[in-house]
Amino acid sequence: MRVGVFICHCGSNIAGTVDVAKVAEEARKMPGVAYATDYMYTCSEPGQKEITDAIERDKLDRVVVAACSPRMHENTFRRTVMKAGLNRYFFEQANIREHVSWIGLDKELNTTKAIEEVRMAVAKVMKNKPLFSSSFKINKRVLVIGGGVAGMQAAIDCADGGLEVVMVEKSPSIGGMMARLDKTFPTVDCSICILGPKMVDVAQHDLIKLHAYSEIAEIKGYVGNYQVKIRKKPTYVDWTKCTGCGLCMEKCPTKNAYDHFNFGAAPTRAINIPFPQAIPKKATIDPNYCRQFVKGKCGVCAKVCPTGAINYEMQEEFITEEVGAIITATGYGLMDMEKLTEYGGGRYPDVISGIQYERFLNASGPTSGHIIRPSDHEEPKTIVFVSCAGSRDKSCGVPYCSNFCCMYIAKQAILTKDHIPDSQSYVFYMDIRSPGKGYDEFTRRAQEEYGAKYIRGRVSRIYPKGKKMVVKGADTLLGTQVEIEADLVVLATAVVSAPGAGQMAEKLHISYDTFGFYVESHPKLRPVETNTSGVYLAGACQGPKDIPASVGQGSAAAAKVLSLFSKDMLESDPAIAQVNTNNCVGCLKCLKTCPFQAIVEDTLRSGKKVAKVIETVCAGCGVCTSTCPCGAIQLQHFTDNQLLAEVNAICQK
Amino acid sequence: MSTQKLKEIIKQVLPDVETVICWQEGYDKLNVTPIFITSPEQVDQVVWNPLCAQNLASYLPSQKKKVAVAVKGCDSRTIVQYMQEGLIDRNNVVIIGIPCKGTVSKKKVQKAIGNEPVEEVTFTDDAIKVKTPSGEKTLALADVCPTKCTSCQFPTPIVYDQLTGDAIKSDKPPESVYADVVELEGKTLEERKAYFASQFDKCIRCYACRNACPMCVCQDSCIAETRDPHWITQRNSLDEKVMFHMIHALHLAGRCVECGECERVCPMEIPVAKLKKKINKEMKDLFDYTPGVNPEDKPPMYTFNVDEAKIKEHKL
Repeated sequence: MRVGVFICHCGSNIAGTVDVAKVAEEARKMPGVAYATDYMYTCSEPGQKEITDAIERDKLDRVVVAACSPRMHENTFRRTVMKAGLNRYFFEQANIREHVSWIGLDKELNTTKAIEEVRMAVAKVMKNKPLFSSSFKINKRVLVIGGGVAGMQAAIDCADGGLEVVMVEKSPSIGGMMARLDKTFPTVDCSICILGPKMVDVAQHDLIKLHAYSEIAEIKGYVGNYQVKIRKKPTYVDWTKCTGCGLCMEKCPTKNAYDHFNFGAAPTRAINIPFPQAIPKKATIDPNYCRQFVKGKCGVCAKVCPTGAINYEMQEEFITEEVGAIITATGYGLMDMEKLTEYGGGRYPDVISGIQYERFLNASGPTSGHIIRPSDHEEPKTIVFVSCAGSRDKSCGVPYCSNFCCMYIAKQAILTKDHIPDSQSYVFYMDIRSPGKGYDEFTRRAQEEYGAKYIRGRVSRIYPKGKKMVVKGADTLLGTQVEIEADLVVLATAVVSAPGAGQMAEKLHISYDTFGFYVESHPKLRPVETNTSGVYLAGACQGPKDIPASVGQGSAAAAKVLSLFSKDMLESDPAIAQVNTNNCVGCLKCLKTCPFQAIVEDTLRSGKKVAKVIETVCAGCGVCTSTCPCGAIQLQHFTDNQLLAEVNAICQK
Repeated sequence: MSTQKLKEIIKQVLPDVETVICWQEGYDKLNVTPIFITSPEQVDQVVWNPLCAQNLASYLPSQKKKVAVAVKGCDSRTIVQYMQEGLIDRNNVVIIGIPCKGTVSKKKVQKAIGNEPVEEVTFTDDAIKVKTPSGEKTLALADVCPTKCTSCQFPTPIVYDQLTGDAIKSDKPPESVYADVVELEGKTLEERKAYFASQFDKCIRCYACRNACPMCVCQDSCIAETRDPHWITQRNSLDEKVMFHMIHALHLAGRCVECGECERVCPMEIPVAKLKKKINKEMKDLFDYTPGVNPEDKPPMYTFNVDEAKIKEHKL
């Protein structure tokens, strides 16, 4: 075997703290190594030519490049060795940048570790086997999970590109958070007026199939061929008959149902249509409040419904859709303000959350656009906004910035002045974060033109005093304590991941961070891809994001799907599990532990029962290989012997 | 005595099954070996006494047709575990349960009589009388029983179709099962390392423990002897010996039914079950799971759960 080793300087990224010449010199002494050299930028065109030339000149049959992470350039070098006639799995990349040069400053130690990394890669590459991928057909339909603005944009772009789209929305109407907003910053244009046309586009597009009030029950399959089981929740209203007239809502005797759309800003009826522009504009019964369900008798809505759409016996229903790619646009959630006990949210009626205030501002909200104090329905004159209510606060478990609160507080302060000209708004802030186009000018306008008083400092306590709420906080610019007697306090509660985000990620087999936000493939260069091929991200499910960013990402995810589907066949990854039927004892432990259901029982001609891997379903995670007691199931390119070769290489000198 | 009852039951079930697996006298009075009964004439050879230590349930997964098997309480856990892991079809097994007050370790007896030839063995309720050329010796059963019997929780089989006598309840406290593990846990890392090194160093890699283990599924494909994958070499060193025992212990994680066969067969008297018991104790703490006690249980290592109540590193 003739291994070639190429040590990359990566400019000074590696050469700065690793003696690359020494690594090459040591590599030359390693068993199997026929050629070793160091090069300024191995990934550059001349750097790659160096590899192809050496393969030809020195008759190399294996190649090791010691450079950056394989996540950066593994594909580059695989293509390079392929060009020179080698199987692309005869290449190994030793990561001496992220794993060595970037993490230590001691040149001698770094050099030693780099040599070890190379030694391991050389040992492994000599055990590598040629692998070949096969190709398979793709189903050119796309699933969009979530009907918020990001999901809608992705769906419309995909459908306009000629793809069939299946959209699944868990609530009765699409529209998401944006449908709840009164106005949008920094233009202060009506939110539903600009969102409405998009919602109509989704509803009317021939290629978009909408499943509202539905959830993802199960996802099976792999890129190109997913089977998605969708749970259609019972609405107790036959939507094929419901005309959305709203008569049932008017007559419903239950007036204290929780209003999910208005975030509990005011109670609603047990049967309701969330908002006038809802799509689909159909009624849904909340069985937690409906008297027919709670007490077993009522039936008012069934009596008044002119089309006889009410069906209390409705059951949940499961349907299966087959798609080739998935765009996840599940959005975000808001921190429960009751968690912030010192602010009294939930305890005092006049301390409300930003989204509740937004609903008060909105003409179709619970107060028809009149700002009121929830306690006595009077018009508030002094309104205090508390930004970073939970955000940037490790003790609340939210160390990150919620991204758009600074902006919507400025917007709400402006709108407050518009609604109540003799009102005075105060804003407690930590920093004003307004880096978008026209954003900083907007926050200045709130202060300079609309007279909102901005106080830099945090609020320590909010407590009632007569009819007022006392907001006690620090003014760090003046270095004093301040107390403001407010009529209404609005908390900009922290943005958190959507409820159930983790479970959804598990169904999708994508990664998520400790906060439940989904992790992109690369924070800069692959922001809408996930590490699971065929699954893309759009909107705030990836992290707090404002509308323009969500829409942009929705379009970007659609572009990714369109480019994926521009091919008719996809190549499979050969680095998957394979069963050695001679060794397999048929205990089928692998079948039970496989997270992808990629293993089935098979009977050989001899009658012996063995495990069998469904190649296209296997994701190459390796759970089966670590479960198999006799090592009969091996992950190709990461076999026990290949890994043991690496272990032996560093343990034996 | 239940031996008579056992023979009656065997005669009764024999027409319905291919084979009845039971015990018979071995090459001398102190030895008992398995017997595979296929005809009624063989039934008279059947014995049942505290020397019947072998776990006959181990034969079940390799049986192709319907068989009957005689099991003690401890052996029945093997059957339960087989059922959990889908290694046997319960409909193809007739279980003859024998309530057992404790077995005898042949090795302990041999030691006590100085390895003399055995002429006669008789039992009383709590003692074994062994006649040798140099005289008769009476040994208390409690002194010559295997370790597992001192903390037996299941004197009566957990599953059975027929029972040869009245069910017995355990009189041993549940804490006693892991008393030796707890004692070991109290020692320092160095002491434990020294202990295991001294024990495993005796290993001659005969693989008797593995071959006797009812839960070892790999049989001839054991990775201790394969080159692909090549996890251990045949080199005679402590490292390789420890590696083998670690592999066996880990392959039994959440599966070891504590039948004690590995220790019974070890020619070097290595406490091979200790590591496995330690893992069982951990499994109990982590997953509240005891192998081989409830046929409806799912072995935790045979499932893929993202969220585990007691594993904190991963929370949804």
